[in-house]
Amino acid sequence: MTTATFGRTAPDEAWFLVKALLRNRALAIRRDWEGRSLYGFAIVFGVSVFCIILLGTMGGVRVLVAAGAVSLLLSIPAWAFLIYLFTDVLIAFGQALGDLYLSRDMPILLTMPLRMSSIVVAKFVLGVVQNEVYAVIFLMPFALGYLVGAGAAWWTYPCIASAVLIFPATLYAALVVVTIVALRYIPPRLAKEGLWLAGASVPTVFWFLSFYRVAHLTGSIASMRLPAPPAWLPSTWIGQSLAQLGAGSPGEGLRFFLLLAAVTLIGAPIAIGLVSRSFSMGWTAAVSVPSRRSAASAATSVRATPRAAVVKKDLKTFVRSPQLWFNHIAALGFVGYLLVGHATSPVIPLTTQLAMVQVGFVAVLGALNPGMTAISLEHAAIWILKAAPLDAREILSAKFIVAYVQTGIISAIGAAALSIGYGFDAGKTSAIVLFALCASASAVCVGIAFDASFPSFDWENPNHINRGLRMIVPFLINIGVLVACAIVLFVLRFANLPGAEGAEAGLTISIGLYAIASIEAMRMAQRDIAALEV
Amino acid sequence: MSGPPPLIEVDGLSKRFGDVAAVDRISFTVHAGEIFGFLGPNGAGKTTTIKMLTGLVRPTAGVARLCGFDIVREPMRAKRQIGYAPDEPNLYGKLSAIEFLQFIGDVYRLDQRRMRTRIAELLDLFELTPASTTLIEGYSHGMKQKVALCAALLHEPRIYFLDEPTVGLDPKSARILKDIVRRATRAGNAVFMSTHIMEIAQSLCDRVAIIDRGKIVAVGTPAELGAMGGLATLEETFLKLTGGIEDRRVADIFRESA
Repeated sequence: MTTATFGRTAPDEAWFLVKALLRNRALAIRRDWEGRSLYGFAIVFGVSVFCIILLGTMGGVRVLVAAGAVSLLLSIPAWAFLIYLFTDVLIAFGQALGDLYLSRDMPILLTMPLRMSSIVVAKFVLGVVQNEVYAVIFLMPFALGYLVGAGAAWWTYPCIASAVLIFPATLYAALVVVTIVALRYIPPRLAKEGLWLAGASVPTVFWFLSFYRVAHLTGSIASMRLPAPPAWLPSTWIGQSLAQLGAGSPGEGLRFFLLLAAVTLIGAPIAIGLVSRSFSMGWTAAVSVPSRRSAASAATSVRATPRAAVVKKDLKTFVRSPQLWFNHIAALGFVGYLLVGHATSPVIPLTTQLAMVQVGFVAVLGALNPGMTAISLEHAAIWILKAAPLDAREILSAKFIVAYVQTGIISAIGAAALSIGYGFDAGKTSAIVLFALCASASAVCVGIAFDASFPSFDWENPNHINRGLRMIVPFLINIGVLVACAIVLFVLRFANLPGAEGAEAGLTISIGLYAIASIEAMRMAQRDIAALEV
Repeated sequence: MSGPPPLIEVDGLSKRFGDVAAVDRISFTVHAGEIFGFLGPNGAGKTTTIKMLTGLVRPTAGVARLCGFDIVREPMRAKRQIGYAPDEPNLYGKLSAIEFLQFIGDVYRLDQRRMRTRIAELLDLFELTPASTTLIEGYSHGMKQKVALCAALLHEPRIYFLDEPTVGLDPKSARILKDIVRRATRAGNAVFMSTHIMEIAQSLCDRVAIIDRGKIVAVGTPAELGAMGGLATLEETFLKLTGGIEDRRVADIFRESA
C-alpha cells in the first residue's frame, strides 16, 4: 500500500482525497437541490439566523454590562457552548458512525491504492466540515456578538473566530475515537445500535440535569452566576476564552484558547492515528454484522388489508432501527426541560395557551423524523410499493398512520406530563393534549408532503435523509403554522371571550388552521406519490 | 385476427429523459404461454421498458396493456396481474424473508392459509427455509435475489417480469427458476424476461426482441434471429445488430495497454 500511491507523499495524498471527496459532496448537494428558490431560502434563512443571534447576543450582553452583572456575563459563554456541545454530540455521534463505518464509498476507497491514513483524514475532514456549517451559523454570531457587546479589543475577534472553527474538530475527534473503540470491543450490532442510542440519550440526560441547576438560580442579577460546567469539557475552555477576552483579561482568554487549540492539534492527529491503525478490523467487524434472529411471526388467520400490511411493515422497521428513535428522545427531553425550567422560575405566566404552544413545539420536534422521512425510508426498495397494486392514497394513509402513531403518542405523553407538572386541571389538560394531537397530525402531514416532493432514496443511513435544507424547510413551515396558532391563542386570550381566558376559542381556530395545513399537505403528497418515478 | 388477446400489448411506447430517448416507439405483443426474451446492450432501454410496463415509470408516449388493462389508466388492475423481480434485489432489510413475503401476500390480498402454504413452498424450493426468520439485511446478494423471485411468484400472477433474473443465482437456483418459468407458461401465463445471457435466451425463450438505443431492431424466435443475414447463432446476430465490439478492436485495446 505504500508504493502504489502514484508517487504522492502521505500529506499530498490525504489533501488530494480531501479535495476529491469535498468536491463530490458539493456536487451531490448541488444536484440534489436544483431549485434556485430553495437555495435562496437557505441563504436567507442562514443569514437571518446569523443576524438574529448576533444582534440578540450583542444587545443582551450590553444590558448585562449596564446592569453590572459581571458574574453572570462571565458564566454565560461556557453554558452556551455546552448547549451546542450536547446538541452536536447528538448529531455528530451518528455522523461519525455513518461517515466512517456505514459509508457506501468506503469499500471502493479501501480497494484503491490509498493509504489508510489518507482515507481516515479525508473522512475526518468531511465530518468536521459538515459540523462547521452549524458552528458558523449558530456559534460564530454568538461569539462575535458577545465580543461586540462587551466592547472587546479588535484582535480578540480573529482569535475567537478561529476557536469557533476549531471547536467542532475537537468534538468530532473525540467522537470518532469513542466510535472506533466501541466497534473494536463491543459486538458490532450492539455497538452500532448502542452508539445511536448513546448519541441521543446521553446529551439529553446531561442537559436535563444541568438545566435543573440553572433553573433554580435565585438572587439579584448583579450577584447571579450560572453554576460552573465541568472544567474538562472543550466547551468550557472556549467559553472561558470568550468570557475572559470579553472581560478584558487577555492572558486568561488566550490561555484557554491555546488549551483548546493545543488539545485539538495534538488530539486530532492522535485520533486519526488511532482510527487509521484500528480501522480495518473495526470496519470488517461492522460490515459483517451477524444477522439478528427474528421470531417467525405466524401469519394470522385474519387477512390484512394492503394498507395494514404497509403499516405493519413500517412499524417493524421502526422498532428494529434505534437510529429512528433519537428525535423522540429529544422531544421528550424538551418536555423535561420545560418542566424543570418553567415550573420553577417562570419567565412568563403559565397559561393554557403557553402550554399549548410549548407542546406544539414538542409535536414539531417529534415529527422531524417520522414525517419528513416517511417516504424516503423506503430507500431503494421503493419499487416494491410502486410496482404493487397500491394506489397513492393507500400508501399515503399508511405512511401517515405510522408517523402519527409515533409523533402523536410522544406529543400526547409530553402534553399530559407538562399539564400535570404545571398543575392544570383535567379540562385544561384535555385541551392541551388535544392541541398536541392536532399539532402533531399537521406536522406529520407537512413533513410527508415535503418528503413526497423531494424524496431521497439514496442514503447511507436513515439519519442522512434529514440533513440541511431537507430538515430546515419543513421544520420552518411547521414552526410557521405553530406561530400562526400562537398568535390566535394569545390574541383571543385578551379578547374577553367566555371560557378559560379564550382558550376554547383559540383551540377551535387552531384546530381549523391545523386541519387546513394537513389537508393541503396531504393533497400535495398524494399527487407527488402518484407521480413518483423510481 | 383470431385467438385469445395477448397478455402484454405494447404500442408505440416511448420514454424520454430530457433530450434523450431511452425508449423510442417500441411495439410488440406477448401471448399466453410465451416466454419473451428482451435482449440489448447496457443502456439500451431494457430496464426502462420493464419499469414502464410495471408502472414504476410513466411513459412519455404510447400504450401498454397488461391482460387488457392500460398500465397508465388502470394501474391497480394492471398491477394485480403481474409479478416483478428487478435486476437489483433491494428489499426491506429490517424484515425477515417470511415477514417480507407475508407483507407481499397481504398487499396482493392473498388468502392467509394459501399464503402460508405458498410461502413455505417457495422458501423450501429456493432453500431459504433455514434463513427465513433472519433479517434480510444479513442476506447475501443471491439470497436477496431469491427472496425477490419468491415475492414475484407468490401471488401466481398472469404475467412475470423478470429483469436479469439469473444474475447472482447459484446454478441450482438458476435451474429451478428456469423450470418455474417453463411451468408458468405451460399454465397459460406469460413471462417477459430481460437477460444478457444468450444461452438462456436461446434455450428458454420462445421469442426474443433485441433492443438497441431505445429501438427494437429485431423480433423473432431464437432460431429465426440466429439465421438472420446468414449468421450462425443468436449471439452473432445480437452483436451484429447492436454494433458489438469486434475482435480486432479488442485486440487493439489490449495491444495499446500492453
